[in-house]
Amino acid sequence: MHTWVGVIVGLLLFAIFWMGTISVFDREIDRWMAPMTRLAPPDHVISFETFRPTYDAAVAARAPSWTILQATERQPVVRLVYREAAKKKLINRYFDGTTGAILPDQGSLAGTRFLYPLHYGLHIKAWDLGEWIVGFAGMAMLVLCVSGLIIHRRLFADFFTFRSNTFAGRKFFELHTLAGTLGLPFHILITISGLIVHFSVYFPSGYLSSYEDLRGFNIEAVGGYQRPKANRPGTLAPLDPMVEEARRQWNGAPPWALVIYHPGDANAFVRIFQTFDGAIPRHAPSITFDASTGAVLHKTEPLGPMMTTQRFISGLHQIQFRHWSLRFTYFALGLLGCLLIATGLLFWLESRRKRHAHEGRLGVRIVEGLAVGGTAGLIAATAAFLVINRILPLNTVFLGTEREALEVWTFFVVWIAAFAHAWLLPRTAWIQQCWAIAALSLAAVGLNWITTGDNLIRAASHSHLWGVAGVDTGLLVTAGVAVLFARRLSNRERQTSTTAPAFAG
Amino acid sequence: MADAAHRTTNKAVMRRVLFLRVTLTVIGGYIATSAVVYGLAILLPFAGMARSEAVVTASMLGFIIYLCALLWGAAERRLLRLGLGYAALTAAGIAPWALSRIGG
Repeated sequence: MHTWVGVIVGLLLFAIFWMGTISVFDREIDRWMAPMTRLAPPDHVISFETFRPTYDAAVAARAPSWTILQATERQPVVRLVYREAAKKKLINRYFDGTTGAILPDQGSLAGTRFLYPLHYGLHIKAWDLGEWIVGFAGMAMLVLCVSGLIIHRRLFADFFTFRSNTFAGRKFFELHTLAGTLGLPFHILITISGLIVHFSVYFPSGYLSSYEDLRGFNIEAVGGYQRPKANRPGTLAPLDPMVEEARRQWNGAPPWALVIYHPGDANAFVRIFQTFDGAIPRHAPSITFDASTGAVLHKTEPLGPMMTTQRFISGLHQIQFRHWSLRFTYFALGLLGCLLIATGLLFWLESRRKRHAHEGRLGVRIVEGLAVGGTAGLIAATAAFLVINRILPLNTVFLGTEREALEVWTFFVVWIAAFAHAWLLPRTAWIQQCWAIAALSLAAVGLNWITTGDNLIRAASHSHLWGVAGVDTGLLVTAGVAVLFARRLSNRERQTSTTAPAFAG
Repeated sequence: MADAAHRTTNKAVMRRVLFLRVTLTVIGGYIATSAVVYGLAILLPFAGMARSEAVVTASMLGFIIYLCALLWGAAERRLLRLGLGYAALTAAGIAPWALSRIGG
């Protein structure tokens, strides 16, 4: 049972770290998966009034709120979000930030709406169960880091006694120690900061001690503005004067987000936010206006020191601030974390295999199948997600399933197939899945070229396409590493099968 | 023969104790930590902190407290002492609220 729990926790952690690492470049993946959004950032802020027709649509759809986000460097398109009341359908569309023209429906959840939420909530929304599971894994990671630290007290000695060309189990251990000693401060900080982002989910006893509910706490802690609907129709005053007033109060800082609550209602109010990519704390000042008159209703106060600390720590984790060298560093360290977790899991399984050798082949096969599918299989599924994105035409609907859901289906089907493959062909599972990763990654790069014309050279020579070039480069490197792994593993396989008697299964 | 049988039942007992330890640590530790967070969130305002500030401080500390509770659960040899320890922490966490209710 110990083994089962360990495998589940290990694979959970790997999935969380893998998706988290990928999500460092989630907006770049968005550009790759939604080619219509590969635009140069506009050089001026477009008027929110341009999007008034969409506001009218939101009113007609009885949406609880209507949001417009201005273009940024990493997301160079204007974003519209509102949820239709009827079928709770989410409308999420992009607009050209220079002309205001609507862009074709991207039909993809891409990085920010699939890969990133998978990282912190596993897409299991019922009772926040996904977030709780991730939180549990996070605490397990902290315990493992501390106990690992205690086990490897002779930190520097262990680091310097790293050897290559040793036998399998030992190799995992050496890599695990290396990844651990090199990146330990990051692994610990990224884990605890990730947990602190969701402090109100994990410790409801905190705010329940002094407040009726979370909303009550948030109003005092972060300083929002609330007022209920009047259930009478109301008008929307011109937005430009409100934006002007906000800029005046902010000494010229440009607006980033504009949210209208209770659209179409007499009590509707407009909240305008500054951007938060200029500083680490993930918090933006906002000003609230009455929707029908444009009068200022509320202005957020600066946060208290402890709340600022929470936002700062969250900001360290979510890295929404503008800092490219740090972003690449996070990515590299995240990959190191994935290596740490994968080698830790594999070494641990290897050591338990000797202990449970007598416990029946089936159990061992299932556990090892889980290990392959949960690591190589997950990476292959991610590559498949990108490949299917380039294959499916826009606005595809298949068996009543929309395009963005079809992409998600592909991801999970490939992942489950990887598990099945590992159980059916245990001896060659690793090798074949590595080849699959290489093939899918190369296919993705090739398909990007064929379907969009933005090959690596073209993308590298236009600054607004550097994100796309980055994703393509990442895919090529992944393919290269996968091929290396596959060849190394098949060499070792050939060696052991010629020098030692072959064992079945 | 009798030796082997003794070994397997010993293993079964060990497994059960391990399961008990893990359950106690994960659940009992969480309850104890939540109680301490609750108590801190109530106490800190008396030291001059604003209510919402106290809540976020206590909640953030909760992760460190839970980590210590988990490590203790792994290290403490006697399960009874562990359980009593969690219970004591829980009581300490609820105390400020309980006392304020008694005081009217």
